Amino acid sequence: MSRKTGRRVFWIACIVLCLAGFLVSILTGPVRTTPGDLLRFIQEPDRVQAAIFIDLRLARAVLAFLVGAALALSGAILQGYFRNPMADPFVVGVSSGASLGAVVAAALGFEAAAFGFSGPGLLAFLSGLGIVSLVYALSLRRGGSKVETFLLTGIAAGALASALTSFFLFMRSDSYDQAVFWLLGSFQLAEWGQAAAIAPWIVLCLLGSVWLGRDMDLLALGDETAQALGSPVRRVRKAFLAMSALLAALAVAVSGIIGFVGLVVPHWVRILIGPGHRVLFVASALAGGTFLLYCDLLARNILPAELPIGVITAAVGAPFFLYLLHKKR
Amino acid sequence: MSAARPRGPLALLAAALTLWAPSVKGVHGRAQDIQDDLGRPFPLPSRTPERIVSMAPNVTEILFALGLGGRVVGVTRFCDFPPETASIRRIGGLVDPNIEVIQSLDPDLVIAFRGNPLRLVGRIRKLGLPVFVLDIGEGLDSLLPLIARIGRVTRTEARAAALAAGLRHRLGAVDKATREIASRPKVFVLLYGQGLWTCGGESYVDDLIGRAGGMNVASSLPKKWALYKRERILEDDPDVIFILARSSGDFAAGRDWLLRKAGVPGVSAMRSGRIYEVDENAASRFGPRLVDVLEQMAALLHPERSGGRP
Repeated sequence: MSRKTGRRVFWIACIVLCLAGFLVSILTGPVRTTPGDLLRFIQEPDRVQAAIFIDLRLARAVLAFLVGAALALSGAILQGYFRNPMADPFVVGVSSGASLGAVVAAALGFEAAAFGFSGPGLLAFLSGLGIVSLVYALSLRRGGSKVETFLLTGIAAGALASALTSFFLFMRSDSYDQAVFWLLGSFQLAEWGQAAAIAPWIVLCLLGSVWLGRDMDLLALGDETAQALGSPVRRVRKAFLAMSALLAALAVAVSGIIGFVGLVVPHWVRILIGPGHRVLFVASALAGGTFLLYCDLLARNILPAELPIGVITAAVGAPFFLYLLHKKR
Repeated sequence: MSAARPRGPLALLAAALTLWAPSVKGVHGRAQDIQDDLGRPFPLPSRTPERIVSMAPNVTEILFALGLGGRVVGVTRFCDFPPETASIRRIGGLVDPNIEVIQSLDPDLVIAFRGNPLRLVGRIRKLGLPVFVLDIGEGLDSLLPLIARIGRVTRTEARAAALAAGLRHRLGAVDKATREIASRPKVFVLLYGQGLWTCGGESYVDDLIGRAGGMNVASSLPKKWALYKRERILEDDPDVIFILARSSGDFAAGRDWLLRKAGVPGVSAMRSGRIYEVDENAASRFGPRLVDVLEQMAALLHPERSGGRP
């Protein structure tokens, strides 16, 4: 199969799967509904069904898609940024920082909601960005802009934040469900306000990353070469870092930590359609959203009680990733 | 009220206005606001709700005790008392109730309890469903106000008052019987399952033991439930051990474990054989059956005072 056909197959499959995923999401849930119910509802809406189809199921599907897109795009950016296939939103400490903020907020009973985020969500967002800024500032001081320094600083800061998170959770043993939510992620409480709060930023970041996509291609040749070829390396790097941190923090703020999407989806996409960053960014966002949509379907339907979605993303993502990786070799 | 004297006419006018106000604009039939235990305003229904969802076992139990069983349309998977609850739709568990199922039941009253995650309760409220949140109190004394609150929000105030009066009478009888006891036996409560789990000072079971005329050895632990240390039991040397068990089979297994494997041999209660079964189901629900448990504990701790009735 040539790369061109491969690409075409990828796009068609992704779009079809995505639309089908939304439809199945609306139709399945603990309350039995048939396609007939949905058609009847569209003709003459009633209150209870509106709440179930629109307020609960569709809002949840849209939020899952947005978060998946944000995480995958963030991962794609960071892998290009670090020229390292191991990079994902967790490595630079965003996720650990965000969950620390959320857990502290919950422990202190901070509930003021704003901009469509809950109190813990808001603090998650701020502390996620805070940690990245700190990591960035620290690694600039020590090792110039060396990638290794940055990665290692991020890992250390992330570990520290995780330790503090565990400490707070341990001290408040009654907040177990909170802990599961923030550490393994869930869309159980999805609502339209959250989707509306994160959607504009995700779209902006997607546009921004596509606009700078060529510069990211040049960065792959090394910073000096890129500079010599006319790319404003420092500014480009800053912009990409800010976008990836923003995306990951937004995702954690509404859904808790969902692992594996940011790491694996960009790899799948790269294997299937090639490394050009412009296309890679768009394709990663679409594939990541679709992937998380299906993971959430599994999370809420395979058992009577809901599974944390982080369990599903890893359980489904890892084997498929291994398969693709080894088939390629 | 002395301040009101010089303003007599004003007070009279105010009183007249208050009396007159309800007849204006049909305020009489309109919902009046009360507050739930989170301090959120809740429109008081004008008559008894028809479709009630209960998000906790003790709430379910109290609703049935108020004669509202027929109006309960959704309960948690832990709601198993009274047995009639078996045929009611399950909404999930305490921490993982399913919002979609609750919505599909189209309830006109949802009663939540502390223990339900607040974020989840908030999400249900955002769907426009009337959610009334109740908090659990510190001890047995908050049981009667809890019943009164549920009676108020379901507009069965009279039945709630009667239920509470009956329970108050029984509580008074136990209090009277244990008031002047000479010695308070030391009690260790075992939650049979994994290891030496017991009830600390913040649990209402601690309060039950105290009112039944005993002394919980784990009372000083500032927790609801706690894993107790072996050496502390040996040091405390309890006179009586209550095993909270789901069935007599569990109780036998628990006693067996305690005697042979728990590593706390030679404790007074074991030598005297004062190891008793307490129904875990009744004791773990903050509802009317706690008074049964209290009476049972009092009888076991002070058989001489309660006529030897177990």
